[in-house]
Amino acid sequence: MNSLLRYAGAFVLLIVLQLLIFNNIEFSGYVNPFVYVMFILILPVSIPSWILLLLSFLTGFVVDLFSGTMGVHVFATVMAGFVRPWILSVNVTSETVEAEMSPSSYRSGLRWFFVYTVTVVLVHHLALFFVEIFSLRNFLHTLLRVVLSTAVTTFFIVLFDFFRPHR
Amino acid sequence: MRSLLNFLLRFKTLILFLVLEAVALIMITTSHNYHQTVLYGVARSVNGFVAERIERGSYYFRLRRVNEELMAENTRLKRQLARAATSPLLGFIPVADSVSGVNYTYLNARVISNSVNNQKNFITLDKGSAQGVTTGMGVASSTGVVGVVVGVSRNYSVVMSLLNTDFRLSASIARNDYFGSLAWNGTNYRYARLSEIPHHVRINEGDTIVTSGYSAIFPAGLMAGTLTGEQERGGDFITLEVLLSADFKRLTNVYVIGNLTRKEREILEEEVPR
Repeated sequence: MNSLLRYAGAFVLLIVLQLLIFNNIEFSGYVNPFVYVMFILILPVSIPSWILLLLSFLTGFVVDLFSGTMGVHVFATVMAGFVRPWILSVNVTSETVEAEMSPSSYRSGLRWFFVYTVTVVLVHHLALFFVEIFSLRNFLHTLLRVVLSTAVTTFFIVLFDFFRPHR
Repeated sequence: MRSLLNFLLRFKTLILFLVLEAVALIMITTSHNYHQTVLYGVARSVNGFVAERIERGSYYFRLRRVNEELMAENTRLKRQLARAATSPLLGFIPVADSVSGVNYTYLNARVISNSVNNQKNFITLDKGSAQGVTTGMGVASSTGVVGVVVGVSRNYSVVMSLLNTDFRLSASIARNDYFGSLAWNGTNYRYARLSEIPHHVRINEGDTIVTSGYSAIFPAGLMAGTLTGEQERGGDFITLEVLLSADFKRLTNVYVIGNLTRKEREILEEEVPR
């Protein structure tokens, strides 16, 4: 129950941060960080994949609703939720991650958390930016936006991870 | 039956994933009427409420520039007025005006939320249906065309920005009146593209691009931008690069433009069989 409340708190906090601060960051049109993906990253390792998918859908839907971009964030976040178990299973050795815990650098090391975050965020941003533009024109321009935004999003997620309460 | 169930159970994650992505794609492809839905109306009200409070705080830091813009616009209007007053046509001879009287009316509004970094950018204004704003009205700043209202709630309205890849504006080259379609290609927020200009038209760098007035949304001759000289040839037409005159990153005050005879015009244009 307690952890449920904590995840609900993280959900609200991340979405408010995204909508009020990160949606307003405009850096030469190339950098759009989407830190709300962190919610998908920090859900417990043992979470059933269908709940993960539904939560991804909900997260994307709320962001979409308030950004006026119907469906784009849903698509990208569901994609991120779908690949997360695989990325975890590739990256995880039995000693670094236990089932009940939430992935973090505190438990599994900065290097591990960084690789995990970059991969999921990259998948999310690739889906997001290419579905948003809905074509392959300006391919390199879009790719550059993906790479730069992934770097900034990852930076903020790893930064926020340091401030998480670890109990 | 059992093997089907087994199959479904085995691939339940994959199936759920595909269903959710399909829902997302349906949402994306039907989003053109999304701004009229009730759900978005609620989100818009919440958004507008929060954005207005944030904007109020940051407004003071932009007062100096806002003042300068208003002074520049006042000067321009004063000059026009002086020209009109000394024009003998208006002064002494009665004029037969084919448009008959005032056609467009203006309402000032404040931009409370804006973006330039998406493919589909939208702007929120602090005026809504209570102030008479309706969907389909044009929006311009003192420097140029900004967008078209696509959704209104009681106190707020959402504008599809010119910086939205779905936006098309009928615009013409002021010097020779050749018209084409002005649209944004989603890359640099300072530049848009004017397409469908015939090959033989002679263009100069710096030519002014204005609204054509062929749609009932904007009056003719409203500034949109200037030609940079860059052009692409292809097919029967050329596409010209346009430096937009409105700086979308610094929008503060805008005008919502209402067309008083729009209904009449639209009804007539619909009545005529084509």
